[in-house]
Order: sequence, then C-alpha cells, then structure tokens
Amino acid sequence: MTTSSAAPRRTRRGTDRKPRFAIAVTAAFFALLYLPIGVVVLFSFNSQRSLTVFKDFSLRWYTAFFQDPVLLESLGMSLRVATVAMAGSLILGVTLALGLVRCRNRLGSLAGLVMLVPLVTPEIVTGVAAMLLFKGMQIPLSTGTVMLAEITFSISYVTVILRSRIAALNPEVEEAAMDLGATRWQSLRLVTLPALLPSILASAVLIFALVFDDFVLAYFTTGVDPQPLPVRIYSAIRFGVKPTINAVGTLMLVGSIALIALALFIPRLFGRRGGLDLLSGK
Amino acid sequence: MTPVTTTTTTTAAGPATGLAPAVRLDDVCKRYGDSHAVRDLSLDIAPGEFFSLLGPSGCGKTTSLRMIGGFTDPSDGAILLGGKDVTALPPNKRDVNTVFQSYALFDHLSVSDNVAFGLKRRGVDRAGIRERVAMMLERVQLTELADRKPTTLSGGQRQRVALARALVNRPQVLLLDEPLAALDLKLRRQMQVELKQIQREIGITFVFVTHDQDEALTMSDRMAVLNDGRMQQCGTPEDVYERPANSFVASFMGTSNMVPGTYRDGAVVMDEGPALPVGPRQGIAENSRVNLAIRPEKIWLSDLAPGMARVTGVVRETVYSGPTTTYLIELTPGVTVSVLEQNTDRSRMEDRWSGGEDVEVGWLPEHCLVLN
Repeated sequence: MTTSSAAPRRTRRGTDRKPRFAIAVTAAFFALLYLPIGVVVLFSFNSQRSLTVFKDFSLRWYTAFFQDPVLLESLGMSLRVATVAMAGSLILGVTLALGLVRCRNRLGSLAGLVMLVPLVTPEIVTGVAAMLLFKGMQIPLSTGTVMLAEITFSISYVTVILRSRIAALNPEVEEAAMDLGATRWQSLRLVTLPALLPSILASAVLIFALVFDDFVLAYFTTGVDPQPLPVRIYSAIRFGVKPTINAVGTLMLVGSIALIALALFIPRLFGRRGGLDLLSGK
Repeated sequence: MTPVTTTTTTTAAGPATGLAPAVRLDDVCKRYGDSHAVRDLSLDIAPGEFFSLLGPSGCGKTTSLRMIGGFTDPSDGAILLGGKDVTALPPNKRDVNTVFQSYALFDHLSVSDNVAFGLKRRGVDRAGIRERVAMMLERVQLTELADRKPTTLSGGQRQRVALARALVNRPQVLLLDEPLAALDLKLRRQMQVELKQIQREIGITFVFVTHDQDEALTMSDRMAVLNDGRMQQCGTPEDVYERPANSFVASFMGTSNMVPGTYRDGAVVMDEGPALPVGPRQGIAENSRVNLAIRPEKIWLSDLAPGMARVTGVVRETVYSGPTTTYLIELTPGVTVSVLEQNTDRSRMEDRWSGGEDVEVGWLPEHCLVLN
C-alpha cells in the first residue's frame, strides 16, 4: 500500500460504504434456504425418473399427478380441511380476541395467558393429545377430527394477531358509532369489524397456508382414507420417491407464494402498509 | 319578570326562559374507587347556549361531558335533557351528538358515508339522507372531498368531518370534547370563529370542553370553571374573568398578580409596604391574612389618577411581545407584579423603563380582588 491510497480509504469508513460482509452472509443464507427448494422445482420438470440427472424439460409428472385419483382426493381433502379450519378459527379467534381485550380483570389476563399455550406446545404433543382424546371419546378418526384439531390449533394465531390490532383501535370510534344511534351489535358490525378487516383477511390467509401443509397434527388425527396431502406424500415417500412428489411440492409452493402475495396485497387495498407485519405476528 | 338580571348571576342557574333547560345536571357524582372524578355537580344549560366546561386536565370536565353523552354512568345524581331524565339511557337513545377529541372518524367509510352514518341508523330515507349530507358538507366546505377517505384529509378537514357527522343529525345538544386541541394555533383561531358562527346559525346548544381559557372566554355565552371535580364558578366570561370567585379561578383565568398582606380598615396593608385601599369587602375579617389579586392589564404605569392605590417598585424585566409589553416590577422583596401595557407609543416606553429604575404603579381599588 502506498501512502497516497491511505487518505481515500479513511473517507470510505463512513456508513455509506457497502456492507460487503453482511451482503455475503445474506447471500449464503438465501442460498442455503432456497437451494433445496430450487432442486425440487427443477426436477419436477425432468423428463426422466432420475432425481440426480436432469435430462429434458417435461410436464409428465404434473400430468401424472392430475391423473392420480388418490393424490387428487388428498388434495381435495386438504383444501376442505384448510377452508373449514380457517373459517372456524376466524370466528372463534376474533370473538376471543375481542373478549380478551375488553375483559380487563384477573380472569381475563389469565385467559390471555392460557390462550398462548398452544403456540408454545410442541405440535407432536398437541397431535398425540388430540388423538388420545378422540380415541378416549370413541370418536372414529376422520376428516372431521382433523378439522376439529386444526381449528383448535389455529385459534391462538388468529387471536394473537387480532388482539394487538383491537388494542390499537381508538375506543372513541365505537363510542362515536353508538353516539350516532348504533346499538352495541351494530357498532361492532359496522365499525369495528370493518376496521379489523385487513387483519382478519391476513390471518385467514396465514391459517389457510398453515393448515393446508400441516403434517404433524394431521398425521395423528386423520383416518385411513382419505388422507391429507402432506400425510399422503409422506406415505408415498416411504415406498420410494417418485418425481410426482416434486410436482406436488412445486404446486404447493406456487400456491403458498400466491397466498402470501395476497396477504401482502390485501392491506394495500385498504390503503395501509404492513401486510408483512401481520404475517410475522407483530 | 326581569330575565336580564339572571344572566349575570354567578350561580349555576341558566338564563331564565320558559323552556326546560337543554341540559340539567342534578348533584352528579362520579367515583372511581375512592377517588372522585366529579363531585356534586349541578348545572342548568339553556337551549341555544354556548356553554363551556373549563379546567385543567383531570378536573372532571371530560368525565362530565361523557356522562351527558351516556358513555360514562354517574355514580350518583341525575342527568336531564330537555326536561327528560336520561340517566339510565345508553348513548344511542339520547338526542345528543358528540365531536370527539380524536374525531373518531370511520376510516373505512368515505367522508359522505361518515356524515350519513347517523341518519342511516335513524332510518331517514335515501333522498333525505343525500340532501341533508350534501347541505351539511357544503356548510363545512367539504363538498369536494365527499368521496375521499378520512385518512387522506388534513387535521382541519377531519375536524370538519367530525363536526358535520354530528350536526347533520340536528341533535338537541352538541357535545364537543376539546375539538380544537389537535389543531395548530392559526387553524384553531379560524375554527373558533367558524364554530361560533355555525352555532349561532343553527341555534343548537353547544357544550364545549376545553382547557384553554382564551378559547372559553372568546366563544362561550356562559362557562363553568372546574377544578378537582368541583365546580369553582359558573357565569358569563366577563363574570368569571372580572369577578373570579376564588384564588383558583383568579389564577387559572389568565395571569393574576397576588400581593399578600393584612386586611385592615378597608385596605390591604403590605408586609413591607404601604396600605393599598380596596374599600370595604364583605366576608373578609379585620386583620386577616389575604391576597390582593390584580390583573396585569389593570395596573397603570403612568398618568395615575387620584383615588388609586399607589405603590413604588423597581422595574426588573421588560418583555416586548409585539402589540404589548410586559413589565415585571418588584414592589417589595419577593413581591413582584407583572404589568401589561399596550404599545401605543413603543419608543417612549423603551426610553422610560429599560430596567432597574424606580417607578410608581397604581390601580383603581374596584379592579382588585381580596381573596382569603
């Protein structure tokens, strides 16, 4: 190094220089995160059965998937379960969140804490517990039991997301509605729920995505036939990996990305930013 | 009947008219646990009056307003609107509307839907709603913004939407909870004039909560000064300003100079100064410790007239503020009064009192108050 280059170097020590190390770490992080998924997507278009050598571009595994009645049945079931779980947990979760925010006594804060337990309980415990409960009550495992288990599991997510939004609402707005002649129920329906709509829709998307590809809970609570798609995929893999699975995986990935894009887009519709905040649970 | 005299009384009774008072509070109390937010508040507000509830924060003025609106239940006492007891009625069953401090607009509805909200709840037909909303929006100059969402409006515009949303229902009484507090000074002055104009035009009773004395003085027909949950004084702005009932009101309503002394023979004798004639005062015992209260603008610095209370002091500070100049004058050690002078001839004033000089000040005995 010559002395002449020392001076400009010092001026580059400001905060505006490029954070090379941080960029490298970030790049490595994304590579590790997405490379395996990239491989799945790539090989879903392979014309060969091989999972190591990519030959030609082909849609044969997609065709195979759409001609497989068992897989299609599982897809249908997963969609039904996700839809019902979404609706059920929204109704219960929003109601619970409203109650928890407005119930300001000791019992209310206790309920608020208990509500968080499902979020930190290992899912496998929840799954086994649900299965034992159904068995103990002699309820045969079926699509219905999966739905019940998924609803129970999802309520906490809805409540956590909605509770912070409700707490941030200006209480004077509901009072204003009543001041203008609305009953309690009308002010909830006409003012509070519309104000919460972006959060409600965002949590709907989140719950749908979570439940649709949930494996653990579904595995313990499903009957034999039909099985939710993730459980079906798992069973199929035990008898050797077929590239059809790659195609299914890719389709699920596309679906999830579409849902997340929707969740980001919904708040924009209401002239508000921060859909991502809702998904990250802030 | 001589209805004129009652308007200037300092009691809580409203102007004498044949009608039932628009609002009557009858011994209203609000307790939270052991603490009182409002104690034994009794008030009559006449139809068409612009009535202010004035006091520092925590004095109970907003709680009182919320009890009239039905958002807070009184612990004791009764609330009457137009002669009817509404104490047990919820807000949606009371013929009052509120302009909230936060405006509390419905952000998911357009400006015109916000204004139409109350009319829809009351089952007014569509054509009627459209007509009244359009008229109201025009009155508050928001016609162009009718389709906008409240979040895209400025503070002043949002304030107008809140006002229109309440007034379009033509309530008996409009409650306003510090509606101008969030606006900047210039806009606030402008809205004060506008609010007053609207009130005069439509003749609805306004109950206006504020902590700003100037606002209460300039806008009200009558006002009640509250402190610590109790009403200190109720009367016209002139009553309250010129004849404050106690030292709290005197010091809360603008600046008041307090000169301590002993009341003797119709004068307040300063501890280390002259006797200041005040004339005979009722209810003040001979030789009792008192405060002589005198407003800065009532003190004269020149051309003292005979019969004035006079005392000599030292000019300690001169504060020039455009149209007026305030002089801080030390009468005796520890007793300083501020004196407000109009700058009618600014250069002359500057020459005479640049600070540190002796000056004789005086005031008319009837302009000062003697407070226990």
